[in-house]
Amino acid sequence: MKSTEDVNRVMEAYADMVRRICFVHLKNRHDTEDVFQNVYMKYLLYEGSFESSEHERAWFVRVTINACTDWLRALSRRKWVPLDALAEEGTVLDDPAKEVLEAVLKLPEKYRDVIYLFYYEEYTAVEIAKILGKKENTVYTWLSRAKDILREKLGGEWS
Amino acid sequence: MSGARNEIQKSMENIRATADMKRNTLFYLEAQRTKKNRGILQHKQSMTMRYAMAVICIFLLAGAGGYQVYRRPVSYISIDVNPSIELAVNRFDRVVSAKGYNADGEDILQHVSLKNISYLQAIERLLQDAYYSRFLNRDSQLVVTVVSEHSDVMMEQINENDSFRALDAMTYSSDTACMAEAHQHEMSFGKYRAFLELSQYDESITVEDCHGMTIGEIQNRIKTCQGHSGSKTTEKHSNGHSGRHGHH
Repeated sequence: MKSTEDVNRVMEAYADMVRRICFVHLKNRHDTEDVFQNVYMKYLLYEGSFESSEHERAWFVRVTINACTDWLRALSRRKWVPLDALAEEGTVLDDPAKEVLEAVLKLPEKYRDVIYLFYYEEYTAVEIAKILGKKENTVYTWLSRAKDILREKLGGEWS
Repeated sequence: MSGARNEIQKSMENIRATADMKRNTLFYLEAQRTKKNRGILQHKQSMTMRYAMAVICIFLLAGAGGYQVYRRPVSYISIDVNPSIELAVNRFDRVVSAKGYNADGEDILQHVSLKNISYLQAIERLLQDAYYSRFLNRDSQLVVTVVSEHSDVMMEQINENDSFRALDAMTYSSDTACMAEAHQHEMSFGKYRAFLELSQYDESITVEDCHGMTIGEIQNRIKTCQGHSGSKTTEKHSNGHSGRHGHH
């Protein structure tokens, strides 16, 4: 079991990232809070050690995505689009940001992950492939298709 | 590319874990930690209790097994004067039971405790007992008969006892078949062995006859039948053992 100091440290380091991954997957704040707790609970009980901070960060990304997927599978809600979450965050987002987020959240789930990890967390396609346990070519394909969809909807920088 | 990245980053940078979310999660984790620790503690206590119970069971089983071994007799000693007493001896040479086979024998055991001491100590205690000594006079005969896989060793040790030697006592060996038969007649196997020996010379003698006789009287009858008229000591074998055993 991880120490209180470790838990406090990773809370400061990864809470926002975990929250964002939950945001791109989940429908509302309640689900997010539950999965957020589940992710940190998994960390608390994780018996392994991390080789580096990058390793630790990648562990949080993978565990959070899996936790979201498991949560959605459990609720049989895999086909919804998490616009409720966007509505909840609407007060802190300006219109251009909301438009981008809305376009991202309308992407199929697998595209959302690669777009978020590639553009926001700045992981390379190779790293994303490792985190998601997919082939590099699959990640490249998903990225390409996701960008095509966003380009179609947003134009501008995506063109 | 960088423009798209900037747009995504800009759109998401305000999506953050709130202070409440962090605080609630930390509170939840600490509660879970406490719960887990309590569970682990209880589990440890439970395991400790289980180990303790296991050890106790082992000791109880070992103790019960050890007690069974301790109380199981492997040798028997019949001590006859007129009081007829039988001692059951375990593999540790300890007396585990003592039984009188006539009124005098039962009476003696009311006064002298012979259990849980070595058979040599039991014989010594018996011979030193004032109440028992009343039966040890110049006309009496002390006969000790042994049923054991190690009867020779036991008889040698008994014969080394000074009190025993001073009484000019005799030792014999017998077997379990003779002992079982003796007990059917409510007679000590030492006295029954003597009866069997006498019956070889005097076919008219019965077990009932011997019930009313002291071991000394039976021994004297045997000597008479054998045609010997010497003193008791001349009848004894050099090592004090009888060559005649109670087999039949």
